[in-house]
Amino acid sequence: MTTSAPLVITGCGVVSPSGIGLEALTAPRNQAGRAEPPEGEYPPIPLAVIPDLRVEEYLGKKGIRTLDRTTRLALVASNRALATLETALSDDDRARTGVVIGTSTGSIRSSSEFSRETLVREKPYLVQATLFPPSVMNFCASQIAIWNSLRGVNATIADGRVSGLGAVSYARNAIIQGHIDRALVGAVEELCPQSAWAWHLSGALAPDAAVGEGAAVFVMESAEGAAAAGRAPLAEVLACEVGTLGMSDVRQGVATAVGRALERSGVPGAAVTAISLSASVLRGLRAAEQAGVRDALGEPLPAQLRTATLLGESFSATAALQLADVLAAWRTGPAAAGSVALVVVTGDDGNVGCLVLRHPG
Amino acid sequence: MPETASRRVVVTGLGAVSSLGTGARAFADAIRAGRNGVSPIRSFDASGFPHTYAGEVHDFYPGQVLRRLRVEEWGRSSLFAASAARLALIDAEIDPAQVSAARAGSAIGTTLGESAVIEDLVSQWVDQGLKDIDPVLARRAPANRIAAAVNAELALTGEAHTIATACSASNYTLGYAYDLVRTGEADFMISGGADSVNRWEHAGFYRLGALAESVCRPFDTHRSGILTAEGGVALFLEPLEGALARGARIYAEVLGYGVNCDAKHPVAPDPTSIAECIRAAHRNAGVRSEDIDYICAHGTGTPTNDATEVKAVREVFGDRLPPISSIKSMIGHTMGAASGFGALICCMALHDGFLPPTANVTEIDPALGPGVDCVPGTGRTASPRIVQNHGFAFGGNNAITILGRVA
Repeated sequence: MTTSAPLVITGCGVVSPSGIGLEALTAPRNQAGRAEPPEGEYPPIPLAVIPDLRVEEYLGKKGIRTLDRTTRLALVASNRALATLETALSDDDRARTGVVIGTSTGSIRSSSEFSRETLVREKPYLVQATLFPPSVMNFCASQIAIWNSLRGVNATIADGRVSGLGAVSYARNAIIQGHIDRALVGAVEELCPQSAWAWHLSGALAPDAAVGEGAAVFVMESAEGAAAAGRAPLAEVLACEVGTLGMSDVRQGVATAVGRALERSGVPGAAVTAISLSASVLRGLRAAEQAGVRDALGEPLPAQLRTATLLGESFSATAALQLADVLAAWRTGPAAAGSVALVVVTGDDGNVGCLVLRHPG
Repeated sequence: MPETASRRVVVTGLGAVSSLGTGARAFADAIRAGRNGVSPIRSFDASGFPHTYAGEVHDFYPGQVLRRLRVEEWGRSSLFAASAARLALIDAEIDPAQVSAARAGSAIGTTLGESAVIEDLVSQWVDQGLKDIDPVLARRAPANRIAAAVNAELALTGEAHTIATACSASNYTLGYAYDLVRTGEADFMISGGADSVNRWEHAGFYRLGALAESVCRPFDTHRSGILTAEGGVALFLEPLEGALARGARIYAEVLGYGVNCDAKHPVAPDPTSIAECIRAAHRNAGVRSEDIDYICAHGTGTPTNDATEVKAVREVFGDRLPPISSIKSMIGHTMGAASGFGALICCMALHDGFLPPTANVTEIDPALGPGVDCVPGTGRTASPRIVQNHGFAFGGNNAITILGRVA
């Protein structure tokens, strides 16, 4: 099926340091009872940990032992996304449903710990075979398919901080070109000592910024498909622009991406009522991202969602959590964030992206 | 509207950095001759392993190929990808400024990303603790650097996706790049793949019982498994109309692709699901099974792969199988680059007129049934018109591309 009508989001699952579900993103922050980070020794910086993550409550006890944290987070988000659909998927639907998950390097904890075994064991090959598949980057996306019998395209998109929008771009094409009818699309990042130390030593984090984690997964489909199935959209995806436009000049690149996304959407900059910026806790990118958006939209900027400030730096999950934050704001009615929202994301590799969402109401 | 447009898409540039040489011509000539690119491992201390062979790229001098990237700032997989991409652009004989000024980007497949960088960091972790890992090295670890390296090297501003769908990843990238050019979303795209030989992958495949000692023999009764390997591969895609207008050499037309997921088992492939993927690829490409003149097999060299792959092909083709061969017999399993090397050799086969061989075959396994022509030994002169390139992966991620000669 070929369509030029916008795609829609009809389901959403999110696991973040605020808790599980969109409602947790809008709830007043509960500072009491901070969650314990996953096992390991961490650098002396704030950590934004997902609280109360009792995976077995969402996935059951069977088969979860061999799943790493990346996969658990994405699987809980995926299963919640499917569970929130107004009408459930049939088995035929599942054959035409894909999975597109953004990730940094798979689970860096899984791969580096598996690699470590080859050095610390008496013989380098005395590693546990069952820990090998989780060290491969597509393990998470394929587990989501296996757990839910989703037999369409199964793609793992490793686009760094823009992964969430890279996944949307990939899934959008697959749906529009008729390879699948719908996709679970999103991104994930787990908190672990390996990445926390890398962030700390890099000097890229703003003072007092937390390293975070999370997963957000959405059901994305054509507007016609959603309507035929009786599923009301949570949002329309008007445009998703990603590219290495910021290689030589991040500010200019962001402005170009935002401008192109708006042009494609057919909405003027003045119609934008809410924006979520990605780099508010990153020293090197924060000012350039902000300036690029100002160049594209002019002053004054519309209402800003504080996703990264609240949730910490969550690398590959960044843009997907920003998207979830827009949906969370809309849950309280369009008055909270207007009707057109931008998700703007900037990577440290020159990649920038802009997603344009419209409230369906 | 871009969504409703449909352009024919052709491959006009090929780039390879492989154990069988640098450049698509060197690679293809070696494959056609049935040469062996496998050698004793040098990239890590393999002395504790019972099996110590891999398809390593020993003569990789990225500084001789790259024009923009500073070699010391990038990991090995990124350098493989960027070098292959630069070679593909040179091979396409197109003005680089024309490409960088256009809507152009890259999609590069990988299985383990910057695994060599990660292993260096792990060594630092073991020796000194995480608090003393080198942050400059850590910056090079994320896999998104691989496609970013391609865009940086060629000064592209379009999408740069590192598609980490394991051993079918390069076919994923070819399909995606084809769609973007076909619909007008992009004017030019680089697709391909890159991976580096590393200790953890060697250990993992050994523990799965899937590693051959020193020779990879797909389809042979005496096969014993895979050999891990590395390299980078890139294909330059553009619309047919533009290629004709500029008088470009056209290797092949991308006719279509199919992608699906077994959704059953993390490491055991499913023939019925693969057969469905083949049918989806044929539908997407607008071809029938009897149109397929050659299959570039996934062909890892494990008994399970051979049995599954041939069974799946029989489900679609019946007992009239097209010739089906595995270049992994010569270069080993280059992981995320594997189906990219397959696509490259398919382009060369269509353009030059030959079938790539399966090396190291002495007796085709009778258990695979009758009619399995795996082109044993050396390449065969032939005139294939439409060919099919297989890529399968852990997790049941299947991707199949269809390429044809432009009449």
